Amino acid sequence: MTSAGGAARRVLVVWCPAWEQDPELDIRAFEQVVTVVEGFCPRVEVLRPGACAIGARGPARYFGGEEALAGKIIDVVACLGFACQVGVADGLFAAQLAARAPRRAHGGRSGRAGPWGPGRAGAPDAVMIVAPGRTPAFLAPHPVGSLGNPELADLLPRLGVRTLGEFAALSAAEAANRFGLTGALAHQLARGLDPRPLVPRPPSVDLSASVAFDPPAEQAEPVVFAAKALAERMHADLAARGLACVRVQVQVICADGQEITRLWRHDGLLSSLAVAERVRWQLAGWRAAQDARGRSATAPGQLPFASEGLQVGGITLLRLVPDQLVRNAGRQLGLWGETAVDDRVARAALRVQAMLGHDSVARPLLAGGRSPADQVTLVPFGDAAEPLYPAGPPWPGRLPAPAPATVYPVPRSAKVTDESGAAVTVTGRALISAPPAWLSAHGEPWLAITSWAGPWPVTERWWHPASSRRQARFQLVAEDGSAWLAVVQDGQWLIEASYD
Amino acid sequence: MSAEVTQAARMARVARTAQATRVAQTARATEAPLRRRDDGMLPGGAVLPGGGVLPGGGILPDDAVLPVLPPLRKLLPAGGLPRGSVVATGNWSLLCLALVAGASAAGAWCAVAGLPYLGVAAAADAGLDPGRILLIADPGPGWPQVVASLLDGCELMLLRPPDRPPALVRRRLEATVRRSGGVLVVAGDWDGAQIRLLVSRQEWAGIGAGHGRLRARRVQVVADGRGAAARPRARWLWLPGPDGAVAVADEISAARFWPETRSTG
Repeated sequence: MTSAGGAARRVLVVWCPAWEQDPELDIRAFEQVVTVVEGFCPRVEVLRPGACAIGARGPARYFGGEEALAGKIIDVVACLGFACQVGVADGLFAAQLAARAPRRAHGGRSGRAGPWGPGRAGAPDAVMIVAPGRTPAFLAPHPVGSLGNPELADLLPRLGVRTLGEFAALSAAEAANRFGLTGALAHQLARGLDPRPLVPRPPSVDLSASVAFDPPAEQAEPVVFAAKALAERMHADLAARGLACVRVQVQVICADGQEITRLWRHDGLLSSLAVAERVRWQLAGWRAAQDARGRSATAPGQLPFASEGLQVGGITLLRLVPDQLVRNAGRQLGLWGETAVDDRVARAALRVQAMLGHDSVARPLLAGGRSPADQVTLVPFGDAAEPLYPAGPPWPGRLPAPAPATVYPVPRSAKVTDESGAAVTVTGRALISAPPAWLSAHGEPWLAITSWAGPWPVTERWWHPASSRRQARFQLVAEDGSAWLAVVQDGQWLIEASYD
Repeated sequence: MSAEVTQAARMARVARTAQATRVAQTARATEAPLRRRDDGMLPGGAVLPGGGVLPGGGILPDDAVLPVLPPLRKLLPAGGLPRGSVVATGNWSLLCLALVAGASAAGAWCAVAGLPYLGVAAAADAGLDPGRILLIADPGPGWPQVVASLLDGCELMLLRPPDRPPALVRRRLEATVRRSGGVLVVAGDWDGAQIRLLVSRQEWAGIGAGHGRLRARRVQVVADGRGAAARPRARWLWLPGPDGAVAVADEISAARFWPETRSTG
């Protein structure tokens, strides 16, 4: 039984196990893989996050065979940092099974192994190619569960039909009689006749807008001016499709090949003037960075405020790329509970971000958690995020008020000794070896401890090895009136915070 | 002649009424947030922590002075932070946060530069609105420009300078502060500061040798400065009080906060 009509559709499926093993993985990251596969064949069908398919016949002819094509795809996807397996077969169903087939068990049974031996780094046998016409034989040993129909997967084994081969051995009329329309379709699949053609997604439209400067623009002013017109064009383009973008990527390319790219985010729609302003900040920030590098010796003495001149041979290209497209459904400000960011404040914050980088300006979010460092999450200005530990549920054992005014992002090392100068230790049952008497925080001179409290044992998240913590807390007051929050963890004294 | 006189009299009356209205408006503008804050006061001068002071984002009155928490008012000659001034606080401490808390609760944005170890929970307890804080952990070598940019947007700027600024940079920043009408609170020394506040003495309460815990700190704050602030003033404050808020430390509140500091374990 060869394929129907002699026109077997050769289908190539790329399967990245990463998305199946880790459901948390960003679906958008798969877009990179799809884009790369689109480089081989523009008509790609995305089956689900982690799997996509292309018609193999054309590209295989161009790249010198199916094996060569599959090898090239694996290499390119590996460059993105993802492992993938490729299966080629007649029809989508068989190709999917081939891509996902466990390699060791099936290697070389019905298909050919990849052209490379196990010595090749990365993917020893990541490719499985089912030769044309061999699809039914390849499918035969697979269990009926792989049809993806839970009803049949339950019913057929009870009738003694365990593999696709056994199911395919039934006559089509009997299958249709007994199992209805879905059964008939499943029977076709089992026989290697894939009724479903590929449904490629429409090729994406380039929504970016760019303008070239010839001769290269030496001053920032004409670039900023062009940015305004460019932003208007981009917005008109987006509006015609009923879209809006949350972020805009501004890409500036200089005559000497240097590229300055930065993403700008805004809660509402960025007006063309606002985009132009951001281009100006980006150029000014870049210039400030260059100045600082150039004359770092004299930098602190002068405020590098104005002067918009540019060096490095001028700017040859400005491109605006809309990022994170959303349907333009207008925007409604929250009535309660949302602190609307003042435009003046937003401008100031964005200016600083242009100078120091996106992560340099943060807004604090109060969160839950037991240690003072856990109780705040810093979110870069313009981003939205949830705190790591929700503030709502109770946190028994959290540090009681008053909260320390100084919380070290990374705990500082310390030494605490008793009267005799021996380090104070804490046993597993939270007993101290001797009352603490002397403290040296982070290599500073020794201070006598006048009062202290603790140890308060804290055992957190023992079920999660990465974030689990077992420590004993102390509050120490030194002779100069300074108060410290110290912890003993793994036998080490650390200063977590200080009550300044 | 008589017509001229009546005309002049009427103009004088109009001017007087206008002035009276202006005075009344100014008084109301300064009173309104203060009166509401007094409502939030506990007996003994303590202030409810966090948003309890003035819920929601109030709109700052457009006066010459930014409001401060009531316990700090007597330390400052103007009863608040004069717009366009620089306030130095010797060292980084909770006092810096307490100084800006009143204005932050009243709706001002506060930018904090050069203090990556700021305890946000302590700031919130002191009365700052965490939703209106911008943290710039490391302003880098070009920090004067960063500060100037931030002052364009924020009324309050809390700064710990990474290095001692040269006189030229200092004067330029002071001019920027004056122009923007904000207040620059420096956690450190600043030669041209109008007001200087220092914690001269401090003692912790609630903790013993192996028992109790830190509950509150009594500090003596000494204020001096230039011009109207030249006469030194000193006050005892709870900084922080038992609930993290700032309060005036006197005998009554001490007795109320410390009925007994016995060991609990």
